[in-house]
Amino acid sequence: MTWTNWLPLAIVLSSLVPGLIIFSLREDQTRLRVALNLGGVVVKLALVVALIAGVDRGLQFRFELPFLPGAPLVLQADALSLLFVALSSVLWLATTVYAIGYLEGSPLRSRFFGYFSLCVSATVGLALAGNLVSFLLFYELLTLATFPLVVHRGTPESLRAGRVYLAYTVGGGTLLLMGVALLHGLAGSPDFQPGGYLHAQVQEHDLALRVGFVLLIVGLGVKAALIPLHGWLPRAMVAPAPVSALLHAVAVVKAGAFGIVRVVYDVYGASAAAELDLMQPLLWLAAATILYGSVRALQQQEIKKRLAYSTISQVSYITLGVALLGPIAAVGGLVHLVHQGLMKVTLFYCAGNFAETLGVHRIREMDGIGRRMPLTMTAFSIGALGMIGIPPMAGFVSKWYLGLGALEVGQDWVLLVLIGSALLNAGYFLPLLWRGWFAPPADWHENNWANERWETHWMLLLPAVFTALLALLVGLLAGTALSPLGWSQLIVNREFEI
Amino acid sequence: MSTTLFWLAVGALLWLIGLHGLLTLRDALRRIIAINLMGSGVFLVMIALAARVVPSDPVLVALVVTGLVVAVSATALALRLAGSAERGKSS
Amino acid sequence: MNLALLSLTLPLVGALLLILLRPAGGRWVIMINLASTLAAAGALHQVMQTGTQWLELGGWQAPLAIRFQLSPLAALLLLFTAGLHLLVALYAARSRHAIGGEDFWPLSCLLQAALAALWLSGDLFNLYVTLELLSLAAVALVALAGAKAYRPALNYLLLSLAGSLAYLFGVALLYGRYGVLDIALLSELAEADVTTRLALLLMSLGLMLKAALWPLHLWLPPAHAGAPAAVSALLSALVVKGPLYILWLLWSRIAPVELAQSAGGLFAVAGIFALLCGGWSALRAPYLKTLVAYSTVAQLGYALLALGLLLRWQEPSLSAALWLFVLAHGLAKVSMFLAAGELQYTLGSKRVRALKGASQTMPLALFAFAVAGGSLIGLPPSGGFLAKWLLLQPLFQQPQHWPWAIGVLLGTLASAAYVFRVVALGFDRARPTPASFHPDRLAQWLAMLPALLVWCLALISKPLLLWIGGVSQ
Repeated sequence: MTWTNWLPLAIVLSSLVPGLIIFSLREDQTRLRVALNLGGVVVKLALVVALIAGVDRGLQFRFELPFLPGAPLVLQADALSLLFVALSSVLWLATTVYAIGYLEGSPLRSRFFGYFSLCVSATVGLALAGNLVSFLLFYELLTLATFPLVVHRGTPESLRAGRVYLAYTVGGGTLLLMGVALLHGLAGSPDFQPGGYLHAQVQEHDLALRVGFVLLIVGLGVKAALIPLHGWLPRAMVAPAPVSALLHAVAVVKAGAFGIVRVVYDVYGASAAAELDLMQPLLWLAAATILYGSVRALQQQEIKKRLAYSTISQVSYITLGVALLGPIAAVGGLVHLVHQGLMKVTLFYCAGNFAETLGVHRIREMDGIGRRMPLTMTAFSIGALGMIGIPPMAGFVSKWYLGLGALEVGQDWVLLVLIGSALLNAGYFLPLLWRGWFAPPADWHENNWANERWETHWMLLLPAVFTALLALLVGLLAGTALSPLGWSQLIVNREFEI
Repeated sequence: MSTTLFWLAVGALLWLIGLHGLLTLRDALRRIIAINLMGSGVFLVMIALAARVVPSDPVLVALVVTGLVVAVSATALALRLAGSAERGKSS
Repeated sequence: MNLALLSLTLPLVGALLLILLRPAGGRWVIMINLASTLAAAGALHQVMQTGTQWLELGGWQAPLAIRFQLSPLAALLLLFTAGLHLLVALYAARSRHAIGGEDFWPLSCLLQAALAALWLSGDLFNLYVTLELLSLAAVALVALAGAKAYRPALNYLLLSLAGSLAYLFGVALLYGRYGVLDIALLSELAEADVTTRLALLLMSLGLMLKAALWPLHLWLPPAHAGAPAAVSALLSALVVKGPLYILWLLWSRIAPVELAQSAGGLFAVAGIFALLCGGWSALRAPYLKTLVAYSTVAQLGYALLALGLLLRWQEPSLSAALWLFVLAHGLAKVSMFLAAGELQYTLGSKRVRALKGASQTMPLALFAFAVAGGSLIGLPPSGGFLAKWLLLQPLFQQPQHWPWAIGVLLGTLASAAYVFRVVALGFDRARPTPASFHPDRLAQWLAMLPALLVWCLALISKPLLLWIGGVSQ
């Protein structure tokens, strides 16, 4: 056992241990709590950097623990997991700062930050999970850790949302368990590997493999908010803004999408998935989800609700890219995992800032908000324009690759979906930008902060600006090797062996 | 053989009567008696089986004796509980 | 074998001495339990080295002898019994409100001795005697809760006696037919004739009644909910498992294969009904402890399902699933009842509704409840998950077996529903129930301990399966 064995575990523990300590803190030990939070973040980021550097130098990182009979608990680093780990660690940094600012002075912060850290630990564990059983473990832990955050406010409305969330995710988790158990019976639980490990079974067990695939995709689709399994996501908007950021960008929804990528590429493998004709239905489902989410977003009058439906639509781009089963589309899907995360988290920070600072929740209240909060509004605009896919923003890069990929595999109709969705995106984001920048200012509810400060609390502003800049940079620097795009191309090359 | 069968039938009948009583009666004391009827039925069956050979099978006799001890102590506990429950209800 | 006997005699002698001398019980019982646990651990270690051991008590030869049999599984159950008694005794010594009087101590020792004798017994009549001892001790423990509990206790006693007598009738028939009582001997002789069928039917019904297996479970919720918290924990975690063990012995050892296969389907269907009906009643229960008691009914459904499928497919690997369900459920249920006892005592109400805001007022107890509930739902990496995983493995092997998975799915959802019903209430911040006095942190941690243990079970799955598997192969 050397450090290369322990590093993946250490990355998980770097948020788990502070989280457990935070639970035991008294409410008034604010400084210690903040120190633990930020200390955990910094340690995690440092470890992730070490991990990336190590993988770059060709080291193998693998941690193994005996778990189920024939299925050990494996944490390991490959290109795909690094993409997700890096994303969630960076976004955790921003979201932690944001959450500290957002919850300043509110009750029950120890509980909140405890579960917050558990949530991130589960996400990172899920990213590093080396086989399906380990993935399942962290997937369920993520459900458990998120529930207290969704119901954190403790109002009847948030409790209802929490129940709905549980009903969906526990049901999905059970189906996932069934799928994992089914595949374990067929082929054991070997490590994930590019190209999958099931092609040997395709001839003999095609029925079992198809049923297993449906079980896994339905189980993962709940978290990835594929229709008709998306119902929990808009309702969960009652949670505090940092939790929304966590649900939509850092952890939960991403976990589902990431799981779909894993299952298609590293369990079934592109070739087996193609042989079993599994991808066409998934493709239709993803396309339908994209359009449905956008249409519903257009109907919403609350900022956060609109963003929620927008997530449903945008996350399905990832599924779409995977389901097209071509290398170029795959790049588009994978890179959207990162791009969507950065853009959406920015939008949620900004929406939270509007709500916290000025009490603005609805779209028609946004008139002239850009004059009062120019920086937040700028960040919001970057996120929104990126979502629409204006070149050279990050969202454009994803959609460009998705479109090219669709043409490559001869599914031309997907282009129409992409264009239609882009138009709808523009339809539901541009009015917000117009109101924010050009409409005459409205009277905002008088609020403590409204008179005192120029923008808003720096801990709320900084994360939004930071992620907006990142979203801008990953689009502008997409051509470099270390950008998410370059990284996604590396992953795809391994999968399709180009 | 026919005597054995006769006593077996009587034992089974007693057992069934006891079971019927236990399921239909409400009063605690009657139900305790019903249980004892069931017990007697089983013991009768065991004795009938033991008496098939001469001298009678020691194992079954030993079992009946043990069973009787258990039944007596269980009945004692049941009576105590029933009495306390009655008193609790009336007071 | 000597260590196993020590683990059995220590609580027995302890109980007698406690009754005669009447010292302050708590400290002594904890020491007895500790020693008994260590002895059981030693016995388990030994039996893993040497294999199954036999002992003829008093030097008589079969068939008159009382023969004890120490298999790895029996040793594991011995350890489990002693360990849980130790945990409950620690809690009971701390929380006097949860035991209902000093008589708890000798009775709990007696209960432990009866259970230990049950795991060790190798013949049908001996099992009957231990079953009766177990019931008598359990009924007396329920009655400790005071006048309110007398009626459920009496009902429990009468039904339990009826179950025993049905079982005894079956034993008499089997002896009349084959002339032996020893399980190992019977398993070689048994044939599928009318007498055997009738005997197996009577014995199964009696045991199902005693183990509160659906549809013969109706006596359980009032008895378990009415008992003091520490007693409920012991009853749910251990006592109902005794008859289940005998049922398993009966069908997997003695019953001829063709009978077992047809009975297996019935057991499995009853198991699924237990999961659904128990879960539904738990979801609607107005009182916290009634909810937990119905959850026992539901969880026994998993064990019954595993037993049924084990018999139906003659799949010995399912024994491991069955016994893991038993172990995981035992640990989780102890935690749940102790947490429930602490919650209802401190919040001053038995109602589920009173848990509003418990995540602020009593975070530890609620967390223990939630963690234990996670194992009941079967979330990884808990023991419940491991058991479910083992149950699913043979189930997925052939497409015609897949429909049974729907039963597991429904069971999972039902348990999730009632567990999260409680947990979600704990997060309700509107008008939380205030604590009547300062919550006892240590008692809550004691309730948490078994819950944490059950969450680690999957990590020690390897030795665990070895211990359980030692007997089923």
